[in-house]
Formats: sequence, C-alpha cells, structure tokens
Amino acid sequence: MPRYQAPLADIRFVLEDLLRVEQLATLPGYEDATPDLIFPVIAEGARLCEEVLFPLNQSGDAEGCRLEKGRVFTPAGFPAAYRAYIEGGWTRLACAPEDGGMGLPELVYFVMEEMVSSANLAFGIYPGLSRGVYNAVRRHGEESLKRRVLPRLADGSWAGTMCLTEPQAGTDLGLVRTRAEPDGAGGYRITGTKIFISAGDHDLTENILHLVLARLPDAPGGSHGISLFLVPKIQVRDDQGTLGTANAVSCGGLEHKMGIRGSSTCVLNFDGAAGWLVGQPHKGLPAMFTMMNAARLAVGLQGLGLAEVAYQHALAYARDRLQGRALKGARYPNRPADPLIVHPDIRRMLLTMKAYNEGGRALAYWIGLHLDHEARHPDLRTRQAAGELVALLIPVLKALLTDLGFEVANLALQIHGGHGYIQDNGIEQYVRDARITQVYEGTNGIQALDLVGRKLPQATGRLLRHFCHPLAAELEELGRDGADPVLAALAAPLAKAFGRFQQATVTIAIRGLADPDEAAAAASDYLRLFGLVALGALWLRMARVAQEKLAAGATNPLYRGKLDTARFFMAKLLPQTGALFAAIQAGAAVVMDPEDERF
Amino acid sequence: MDLHHATVVGAGVMGSGIAAHLANAGIPVLLTDARLGAATEAVARLLKAEPAPFMHPDRARLITPVDLPEALDRLTNSDWILEAVTEDPVVKADLYRTLDRVRKPGSVVSSNTSTIPLSKLIAGQSDRFASDFMITHFFNPPRYMRLLELVAGPNTRPEAIAAIAKCADRRLGKGVVMCRDTPGFIANRIGAFWLQAAINAAFDWGLTIEEADAVCGRPFGLPKTGVFGLLDLIGLDLLPHVTGSLAAALAPDDPFRALVRPQPLLSRLIQEGYTGRKGKGGFYRLGRRPDGSRIKLALDLASGAERPSEKAILDSLQAARGGLTALFEHADRGGAYARAVMLPTLAYAAERVPEVSDDIDAVDRALRLGYNWKYGPFELIDRLGTGWFADRLTTEGLPVPPLVSAAAGRPFYRVEGTALQALSNDGAYHPVVRPAGVLVLADIKRQSQPVAHNPSAALWTLGDGVLCLEFTSKMNTLDPQVFAMIDDALARIGDGRGIWKALVIYNEGEAFSVGANLGLAMILYNVGLWDQIAERIAEGQRCYLALRNAPFPVVSAPSGLALGGGCEILLYSHAVQAHAESYIGLVETGVGVLPAWGGCTALLSRHSQNPTRPGGPMPPIAQTFETIALAKVSRSADDARRLNYLTTNDGITMNRDRLLADAKARALALWTPDYHPPAPPPPLALPGPSGRLALALQIEALQLQGKATAHDGVVAKAVATVLTGGDTDLTDLVSEAELLALERQEFMKLVRTPATLDRIDHVLATGKPLRN
Repeated sequence: MPRYQAPLADIRFVLEDLLRVEQLATLPGYEDATPDLIFPVIAEGARLCEEVLFPLNQSGDAEGCRLEKGRVFTPAGFPAAYRAYIEGGWTRLACAPEDGGMGLPELVYFVMEEMVSSANLAFGIYPGLSRGVYNAVRRHGEESLKRRVLPRLADGSWAGTMCLTEPQAGTDLGLVRTRAEPDGAGGYRITGTKIFISAGDHDLTENILHLVLARLPDAPGGSHGISLFLVPKIQVRDDQGTLGTANAVSCGGLEHKMGIRGSSTCVLNFDGAAGWLVGQPHKGLPAMFTMMNAARLAVGLQGLGLAEVAYQHALAYARDRLQGRALKGARYPNRPADPLIVHPDIRRMLLTMKAYNEGGRALAYWIGLHLDHEARHPDLRTRQAAGELVALLIPVLKALLTDLGFEVANLALQIHGGHGYIQDNGIEQYVRDARITQVYEGTNGIQALDLVGRKLPQATGRLLRHFCHPLAAELEELGRDGADPVLAALAAPLAKAFGRFQQATVTIAIRGLADPDEAAAAASDYLRLFGLVALGALWLRMARVAQEKLAAGATNPLYRGKLDTARFFMAKLLPQTGALFAAIQAGAAVVMDPEDERF
Repeated sequence: MDLHHATVVGAGVMGSGIAAHLANAGIPVLLTDARLGAATEAVARLLKAEPAPFMHPDRARLITPVDLPEALDRLTNSDWILEAVTEDPVVKADLYRTLDRVRKPGSVVSSNTSTIPLSKLIAGQSDRFASDFMITHFFNPPRYMRLLELVAGPNTRPEAIAAIAKCADRRLGKGVVMCRDTPGFIANRIGAFWLQAAINAAFDWGLTIEEADAVCGRPFGLPKTGVFGLLDLIGLDLLPHVTGSLAAALAPDDPFRALVRPQPLLSRLIQEGYTGRKGKGGFYRLGRRPDGSRIKLALDLASGAERPSEKAILDSLQAARGGLTALFEHADRGGAYARAVMLPTLAYAAERVPEVSDDIDAVDRALRLGYNWKYGPFELIDRLGTGWFADRLTTEGLPVPPLVSAAAGRPFYRVEGTALQALSNDGAYHPVVRPAGVLVLADIKRQSQPVAHNPSAALWTLGDGVLCLEFTSKMNTLDPQVFAMIDDALARIGDGRGIWKALVIYNEGEAFSVGANLGLAMILYNVGLWDQIAERIAEGQRCYLALRNAPFPVVSAPSGLALGGGCEILLYSHAVQAHAESYIGLVETGVGVLPAWGGCTALLSRHSQNPTRPGGPMPPIAQTFETIALAKVSRSADDARRLNYLTTNDGITMNRDRLLADAKARALALWTPDYHPPAPPPPLALPGPSGRLALALQIEALQLQGKATAHDGVVAKAVATVLTGGDTDLTDLVSEAELLALERQEFMKLVRTPATLDRIDHVLATGKPLRN
C-alpha cells in the first residue's frame, strides 16, 4: 500500500545547509521566522499531511465528487480534513497579519505546498485556489473589498476559484466572451459560462469567491479588453461578511477526469451574478497574471510532491519485492531472491527519481527564498534582482517539475511492474494525477513560449544575468587548478552543459529576432535544457555544502548520499543537454516546412 | 546664371529660417525687415532656436542683418531676392515696386507666399519684374523640410527658373516640385484637406486624440505625431488662417470647402493661449503629478478637459498589422476613422491631377518631402490596390476620381523592365525620370537583385564597377552579419582590377548606423559569454582594418545618425561623402564603454597628423580625449569637420537625393589602375602614465564641479589610458596594433563594471542615456 513520510531530513538540509534559512529572520517583517519557529511549523504540517490528508488520497480518488441538486459534495472525509486544515491555521500560514494571517515566509508555504501535494493533491487544490484569490485581491482590490473578503479567505471560512476558461477560450484568453454590465450602484452583473473551474463548488466552506475574467460593455476586443471581477457564491451584505441570499452563480455540471478526482471541476453559469471589479477596467489579464505566476509555482510544487510520494512508494517496493538475483551473485543469499534494489536498471530508475526530486526540491525552495527577498529585502537592487530571477524561473519550474513529476510517477509504476498497473497499489493514481499538472495553469508548451517569448527578450536578456553570472563564477572557480577534486569532477560536465545553454540562448535570441518561429520551435527543448542546467547548478551547490560538512567531520549519511546522487546526475542525466542542444541548433525549418496537408 | 548673393526681405520665422539656410549653403545673405531692428533680433533668435537653423553657429556670419532703408541701398548686388513678408497683397505689391527700382537687372525676385496666387502678385508690376519673378514656397523649418514648391508665371524667364531650381536642388539640397499657380499649390492643398478631415472625423466618431493619432499615423506611414500631435507642432492658431484663406480661394464646388466648419474647442484653445508647443501646450500638454513628477496629458475632445494621456488600444490597430485594407475594413471606430479621413483625402489627391500637376510623382514627392509622409497619396492607393480603392469609394458612396477609373485596377506605379513608370492622366504609363545626378538605391533595389544579402546587410551594383554595401538591420545596427557582408564585399572586389573597382557604403534608412547592436552584446553579457564579447570587439577591429587596407577605394556616404561603430566605419573609409544632415559621433562613453572598433586609435592619429596643430604630445591627445569623453555628436556634416570626424578631403552633399551619385563619382574618381589604400598611421610617441595623470586631474576637476558623475570619471580614465598609450613613455613609439589592443583591454574592463551595465540597460529600456 502507498505510504508517505514527509522528507523532513532533506527539507532541513535544503533549508538549513543550502539556503541558510536563518537569514529570513533578518528580513523586515519576518523577524519571527527563525529556524526555531519554522521547523516545528513544518513538522506539524508534515503530521497533518501524513495522518489526516494522506489517508484520504486513495479513497477520495475512488469516490470522486458528486453533484446533487446543484450542489457539489466532496469525497467522504474531505470536509472534516478541511476543518482540521483550517483549525491548524494552515490557510493563514503566509497571509498578512492584518488579515489575520501568520505572515510566515513564502518559503515555508512552499514546503507545505509540496507536502500537501504529496499527501493528497486533489484536496490541496481547494485551499490552493483560495490562496490565489487572496493574493490577487490583496494586490489589486480596493480597500473596502479587501476588508470585506481577505480575513475570510485567510481564516479559510471562505474559499476561492479562478474562472478563466470558457468553451471557446482556453489558452487564448483574448477570446473570452463573459460579459460584465455596470449595475448603476458601483457593482457589476456578470453573465456567461466558465468551464474547467477547479473547486468551482464544494461543501468545504460557507462561501466561495470566484475571480472571473469578463468584458465590460465598452471593452476593445482581444486580450486588452478583459477585466477582473470577484463574484461571491453567496452575496455578502456588509464588511463583517454577513451572508445574504444566493448569487446568480450555478454549477451546471461536473467533469469526469483522468485524475485528481477528489477535486471538483465545474461548469459554472453566471446569470447576471453580482460582482465587484478588481483592479482597473480592461487590465484584468495583467492582474490575473500576477496571480497566475504564484499558481504556476504552486503547480511546479505539485509535480514535485507527486514525484516524492511516488518515489517513496517505489523505493519501498524495490526494497521489499524479491525477484531474481544480482547479476554478479546473490547479495541476500539467505532470502529466496534478492530485492529489486540490487538490479542495475532498477537502481538507475531509483537514482533518476531521487536526483530529479532532490534537485527539484532545491531548485523550488531556492526560488521560494528569492520570492521572499523580492518581497522583503531592504535593498532595492536585491529585490529587483530576486524578482527578475523568479520571473525567469517560473515557467522553468512549472514545466520542468511537472514533466519530471510525470516521468518519476511513471518510473515508479515501472518499478512495480504489473502491480503498478492495477488500482489496489495506488501507484497508477500518481501517474493519472501528475498528468494534469503538465496541462493546467498554462500547458508546458505555453510555459516554454513564455520563457523564450517573454522572459528571454525582457530587457535584452537581463533576467538571465541573475542565473548565469553566479553560476559562471562558481564554475570558473572550480575549474581552476587546486580546486577540490571531487567538486571539480562534478563541475566539469556542468560547465559543458552550461556552455550549451549559453550558446543555445544566444542562438534563440538571434534567430528569434529575425523569425519568431525559430524561437517557438526550439522553446520546449530549450526549457528542458535550461531546467537540467538549473538542476545541475543546484546539485553542484548541494554537493559543495555536503563536501564542506563532511570535511568538517559531519557523519550524517545524507551528505554522502548527496555526493553520490550529484555524481549520478552529472554523469547520467545531464548528458541529455547534448541532445537537446543539437535539436535546438537544428532550427525551425524542419518543423515548419512540411505543409499542413502532409501531416 | 550663378547666384552669389541673396537678400531675404521679411525677418519672421520663415524669412529668417530661409536666410539661415542660404548661409548653410555658403551664400552670403542680406536679411532685412520693414520693422527697425527686426533683422538683428532675428539673427539672435536663430542662434538660440531648436532645432538649430544653422548647421554651425559660424554660419551666422554670412548673414548681414540690416533695416529696410539701408537694405534698399545694399541689395543692388543680390542675384536673388526672396520676399517673406506678411501675406498681404497690398504690402507685397508696394514692396515689389520699391525693389524693382533698386534691384540688379536680371536678378530674380521670388515670394515665399503660401496663399496668394502668382497672377495676383504680378498684377500691376512691370513686365521686366514679371519676367524675373516666381514663387519659391519653403516649408517650416527651412533647413530641415526638404520640399520647395516652385511656381513660375507665364512670362518668367526659363533661365531664371533653371537657375533657382538648380540652386535650390544642389546648394540648398531641396527637392524642387514644379507647381501650377493653384491655391495652396500641391502639399498644403492636400495636406490641409487631410488635417481638416482628420479633425472633423475625430469629433464625429468620438475618438480620443491618441486613437486618432495612432490610426492616422504609423499604419499609413504618416508621421507618428498623427494629426493632433502635428497641430501642436505647427501651432493651432495657424490652422484657421490656412484653411480659411485656402477655402476662400477655391472653386465653390471644391470638396475642401464643405469640410471647413467652426470647431468651438479649437477656437477656445487658441483664445486661451493653448496654441501648441510654442504656447502653453495644445491637444497634448505636460503636467505634473501631485508628487511633482512629469506626466503627459491629453485633451478630451468631448469635454475639453485634460486627462492623463493613454496609449491607444483598438482592435483595428492590431488588425492594421495585417495590412492597410484590414484597417479600412474593420468595424470599430478606428476603422471608421480611417475610412472617414483617408478615403476622401486620397480621393481628393487623385482628383487634383491634372489640376495641380500632370504628374502623380510630383504629388507624391510633395507630400513626402513637405509633410514627411513615408508614402505619397498615389503610393498609398497602390498599397491598397486601385481596384480595391475604387470599390471602397463606391461602397462609401463617394465618387471615383477619373484617374482612379482610368487606372482600371492597374497600379499607379509599375516597374517595366528596369524602369519605374507612373500612370498618367492619358491612361498610359510614362517613365519616372530622375534628374541627372540623382541615384536612388530604392530604384536600384526595385530594378535588380542583390549581389549578396543576409538579414543585416546587402550588396548592390551601382554600375560602372561600383558595389554598394547597404545595412538593413533595425536602425542599421552593426552585428556579425554586417561584418560578414563587409568580408564578402572585400572578397568579391578583390584587387579592384576585375569587374568591381570600388565599394560605397550607403543606405537610405533614417540613420546611417546607430552603431553596434547593443542588444546582441547584452545577450552575450547576460549569459556570461565574456570571451565572445572580446571576440566581437577583435572581429570589428579586424574588419575595419581590412576595409582601410583594401586595395580599392572605399567611400562611405552617411546621412542622419552615424554613431559609435557607425562613426568608426567612416574613420576607416578611404573617403567620406557625407549628407549635410549627418550627425556623427563616438558616443560609446554614454553607455559606459569606449570606442573599441578603432575609434580611439583613428581619431587620435587624425588629430596627431593635423599639420596645423600645436606642438608637443599632449594637444592631440587632449582634443581626442575631449571629443570621446564628452561623446560629442556633430550637428551637421559641417560641424563634423570641426570635430575631425570628417576631414577637409571628405565631401559634403546638400541634397539627400544626390548623395549616392556623389559618393559613386567620388569612388570612381579615386580609382586608378595602381590605387593604394591610405597608409596606416605612423606609430605615435605617447606620454603614458604621466599624460594619463594629467587627464585624470581634469576629470576630477569636472567631477568636483559636478559636471561629471562618478562613472563618467571611471570611463574617461579608461579613455585616457588608451589615448596616452598605456604603460609607455615618450621615448617609445606606440603602434596602431598596440593602441587597438589597449582599446580592447579597457573595453573589456569597463563592460564588466555594474555602472556600465546600468547604463546599457537604461539605454536599451528607455532609449535615453543614464547619468550615473
């Protein structure tokens, strides 16, 4: 049966040894976020995930949500789990103190997001969306609106959704048709149909706030004419949040999905529903994007969370399952057969999973730390640099960690053989659940276009500076005579891969200027190349920390493991960059030349 | 007849501007005005005006300001008397009679009138006067606007017409368009219609002024000021005056008369002093936010109230990227506006042939040169298709002009064989004849295939064995592809004794070249490819040296901006033929680096070899240092000579259209069977650290005075290190190669400093320099 134990040792390594999490408490507003506070909070969160959320994962998947008389019911146990979640204060974790939040760093929220996704992704989507709505209203809403809704979102008594997609408007939100008419009293009436609305209706909270993209009557067409509205499921009468009558929002159907079945995915009909404008008229998409950025990071963490739990499952199975003998003779002669873990190909798969997962965790938390620097650092340049690094890496993290999440879940299934393909073992659920993370919040193809089309050209590539320059300096240092031989051996292949990345960037920038197809046709390969180099950079830094700890006499086997895995990553996974580089250099013609009819 | 001396009567904006431009052309001018002291005041005003009417302040010495009574005594030696007094027929008639009594026999008198017919001006004047009289209609500002409309009377002497036309063309650099004696001539006749239609339609269709300017601007190749921005520029008060007098002079059924109607908002603005940029602001204004920062305001046409200016966002503008017809056919108010303004304007223009000219090319040239339209009206109709245009007019219920019907779906212009032809009102095509000595690269490009091309540059044949290198990158920035094309040209021309004899570097972009493609350099920088940046620098030096050492003439012909690497390519050419309006400079220090494609080395050599320079090693170093450290940009080709960016051997062409022919002629004149490239500069005795220290003290003094910033000092010291020869002393000679190596070394040091990066980032983001 699946099992999940939060990887607290590795989390502590990343936070404490790699990222020096104690520095967070030096940032204004985070004075209380000392390791003494952070680690107990994380341990408490781990307990909730392991004991409350994880046991509902398989049953929630089997049962799914149901729609009865226009109301959606979540799987058995979800409402109680949600109560435990808000009673534990987890919705308040990274909300501002003035809204009743705990005001803890984003980085801590990142850890929780990963653990919740491991334990029960379908459940995690409900509070995750509320957090997105909280951020959007906090950033773009008027004061009165903030007073009215933010405390409710923070304490978890109300939930939120993001209503973007319509039947004809998916990736291309310029096609949105939902209308918003001023009601003459400062509010708006929203009319239209939204589909694929996660957490669109449920039985977890007394109210739901829908963030809706819609057009005002005088709006220009296309993406410049879209405004953002907040539409409550139940009307709100006053600032105290007293609930009135039901708003004209109804759930018109539930989707039957491949995975995340415990999460309700709704068709929502708005029939002149009352709503508030959030932000400026016609500026809805930029406002929505600030929220989508956070959401994309969260989806990356979902990919990581699924990969982690799948790996734990596969590792346990590889230790327990006895099949065949090691090729050079029995390693466990007193047992009827050797466990799977002795077999080279099984080890290859396990190490691949481990390398991706631990590298991905380091990368994700590193970004989380920069989010906190962007928000809180007293020095303007540091804030700007951190913000630019985060902006650059958002599409990388989202697409890389969700693609790898699926790959890792698939490898976990593979290790199980036929037992992975049947439902009882629970492993196939992770493959199904992981699949959506590559699709929603902007498909991974869209992430790649965001990277080459928006992030690279921004300020002629300045965003890259914050990633490339420190890495170039590290590699130069480790390339010099007299460098630590263990680290130098890890740095050499990374330097090669980094060179490919540098050159590929220049190629795409130059070719893309002349022909946008050139950039777009290389985008997905480039994103993966970037992602692998980024994982390599984090692996090198982890190895360096581990090496220093060992040199200082540390005996924690985790450090030795870091060096082993770093070596595996550089030798067995990083060489993919060579193939990706060749594919990028191949150019767009091979993709664009064939006429549409010839497909 | 030659024109040796001119008199301008009337020292207002136009008269004084014309006088300044005559001075730019080297013609001594008597400037006079009926109001005592006005001419002297005008010269003082000219020296302060922006954009500068003089190509160099020294040119003012060619103007002699005198009061009218004295002028009447002194203008007896003038070959050309230009009248630019108030638009009053009585005043002009009196003046003409006075002038006629004192002027030199055979001298030409011309009027700059824009509203009074020639027939009226010569009425009652002597026959002799009428035979020497014509209208020369300049556009404001006379130095910069390239159109000159020339109207001759029935009895004007052909030699007089030829002499003025030739002088205007060659010496003043104007595009002369011969006009009939019809109201408003060509440019203002059509331009005023367009302006009036555009104002009316903006009110009628409820557009914001930003929307109106965005539609009636870039999509049509009209100046990006659009209509309301243009009105602010020319002055709101001028409009009722121009439209009123034009309408009064036109036939009762002329469609323009129906357009003129009172605009209460416009009247109110003029009354309140909002006459445009010369007044308190106009449709656009600068205001301040509560925090004191500046903000651009725009006027709301419906309410007349100010509000913050906003970028126009219209679906039709998006659609316009897919072609002009998509804009016209769009259903939103932008499409409606385009239809309401441009369809009648283009139809009006088409109806004016043959009334104002027999020649559609003359009409197109008038609007291009006089209103800065990128395409003339007939070229615009061709972009739409004459058939589409006729159909659309019919759909809109507008009459189809006879010329458009005669086109019957054929374009107004076509290329037949290698000749450009224009449709005439006889329904047949006739060749578009360029005047002798005019060579247009656009014609060559229409008529032939490039010898070679890549995304950033192309090679064309100019005939007679001359190859032309054209930059085609954005703003003609220099990148590896440009260098590859230079190498290609060098290889093709070989020793200059084969089919190719010479290379001309020329293009017809707005800027000759704004220098290195900083964006590409920044990408290399941002990903940390330092070595490749150093390689690019070395590559540029190699390429420019190869040009300098080519065994055949290399002539560069800049017009507009030639900055940074674009200036260095001039320094390494064998000769330069520059358009008078060339703005040349080594501006690298502005972005925190120094000229490293040989700019420091070449300019220092040039200053050192100046035979008239003061003695000792420091004067040429100090002069070079000042020019480079202050990033001086010439205000004209004339000014560039004074900065040593050009030498006295380099030629200057006043007329943009003649630049290429002049450059080609220059290249062919240089060529001989045993041509040798210019010798490399001799090694220089440079002072090394002691000289560097002297310059550093100067920089520090400037910093103490607050005239130089901290990073200015860092950059200037790097320049000083190169110019003083690094770690040398006066007993050693420093070779060109050593100086080039110093350029590379100091460049690479500067490019890695954060303050330099901030400068480059800022320029790339805002287009403006950062003072840090």
